[in-house]
Amino acid sequence: MSSEKINTSFDALVIGGGIAGGESALNLANNGFRVLIIEKDLSIGGKMILLSKVFPSLDCSACITTPKVSEISRHPGITIFTNSKVKSIIKKSKNDFEAEIIKYPRYVITEDCTGCQLCEEACPVIIPDQYQYNLVGRKAAYIPFSIASPRVAAIDIENCTLCGACEKVCPTNCIDFTQETEEYLIKAKTVVVATGFNLFDPIKIPRFGFGSYKNVLTSMQMERQLAPTRPFNTILRPGDAKVPDNLAYVLCTGSRDVTIGNPICSQICCMYSIKQAQLLMGALPMADVTIYYINIRSFGKGFEEFYSQAKGMGVDFIKGKIGKITEKENGNLILRYEDINENKVKESEHDMVILSVGVLPNPDNATLFHGEELKLDPFSFVNQTEPLASPSRTSIEGVFAAGTATGPMDIPDSILSAGSASSEAISYLIKKP
Amino acid sequence: METEKGKTFKYMREKREVSQAAKDNLKKFNRIKKTVMEALQENELSIDQLTKILDMPKDEVVFYVMSLVKYGFVQTGTIDEMDEYFSYKLNK
Repeated sequence: MSSEKINTSFDALVIGGGIAGGESALNLANNGFRVLIIEKDLSIGGKMILLSKVFPSLDCSACITTPKVSEISRHPGITIFTNSKVKSIIKKSKNDFEAEIIKYPRYVITEDCTGCQLCEEACPVIIPDQYQYNLVGRKAAYIPFSIASPRVAAIDIENCTLCGACEKVCPTNCIDFTQETEEYLIKAKTVVVATGFNLFDPIKIPRFGFGSYKNVLTSMQMERQLAPTRPFNTILRPGDAKVPDNLAYVLCTGSRDVTIGNPICSQICCMYSIKQAQLLMGALPMADVTIYYINIRSFGKGFEEFYSQAKGMGVDFIKGKIGKITEKENGNLILRYEDINENKVKESEHDMVILSVGVLPNPDNATLFHGEELKLDPFSFVNQTEPLASPSRTSIEGVFAAGTATGPMDIPDSILSAGSASSEAISYLIKKP
Repeated sequence: METEKGKTFKYMREKREVSQAAKDNLKKFNRIKKTVMEALQENELSIDQLTKILDMPKDEVVFYVMSLVKYGFVQTGTIDEMDEYFSYKLNK
């Protein structure tokens, strides 16, 4: 790590470059404020940029996200630090926050990289691609994904064999292994916390067999299989590359379940599962899709119609709670479940099971601020001190929360929340100290 | 240490050692790639057939074959009569 901290200042510090953080930053920058976005990943766009389509409109997610991230990236009032994290933030006084930021090296000079992917072609290493949720491999020299922003290569130093093949083929000599971790000391007048959410890891429910049974997937893995930039040529079982024809969704995996410590509803799983079921019926017209649910929560605008549409398309909805999943020799899966309507324990066979994983709080929120405490709610999301009158306000004056940092919500609600956070941040900035 | 543009990996080699896991991973992939490419010289093969040749878990074969498809070494061939399994061929 370089020993000297780099000092700089901005009007607003936005933590998180997902759809809520990006929207907040754009609103602030469009009002003339200088904004710094801190993104832990190699690209902005958050989880939305990796989705196939959005519900209930079935619009292409990338088609909505790409122009937005492009606008954010090119805005003269916005600076973006990717591959970076907030070490700590201290509120010194009103309109005076001091943040320690760590920027990890990409080993590529961002300004010089043309995204030609010649380094990727030359790299001999293959390791699981985290952006395809480990369904396929990627290189150690790689562009994170085709619509990444910035569309710039990065070197995965942990898996790199330092063969130098990437450097030899790079036409702009932009690969730079001399880059080091940099520390910044940032002064900002306000902070927007848009740290998003984590997805539940179903390995914590061993009876569902995720990790052991290769044809049990998470909903995010299926999301990637349905996206235009999918890992396979069509929908396939990762266990043996069979085209599935009888798929099951298990709703509320990691939500509404006190046994795994998350008693609340994740709000999006019912609808994204119904969306995926509809897309699957389009991609695999002969396939049967069954959704096992406790309750279908179709509360939003157009959601009930979307649910009815899925039923009309032939998606089978079974009100049932899954007890256990077991695997047959041929890779098929037996679901043992309680049929709630008939009050009977039943078993059914499917050739692929998708676990509709829930939304969990980002644990980083608890340690972001030193000195004053950023209070969390009983479920560990950022506490909204005035949820009705001022929904973005937090326990620290001048710190506002946007999107799923405050709780589970869908994309339109995240964007609305970002609008609220940026409006409140602007009001705070223009108030005389 | 002086660093020359285009050869900065030498600087990193001085600074850190490549992990054994990274070296083993590269060896494994090279062996699998060579075996798959040789096996596909003559015929299109299914994942099941490649699994027998590679003698490794089927899901790992899927992972590596799909990675070879992604990087253009292999392409998807025809699907079987039951419309269940594709075969794979060299991308010549």
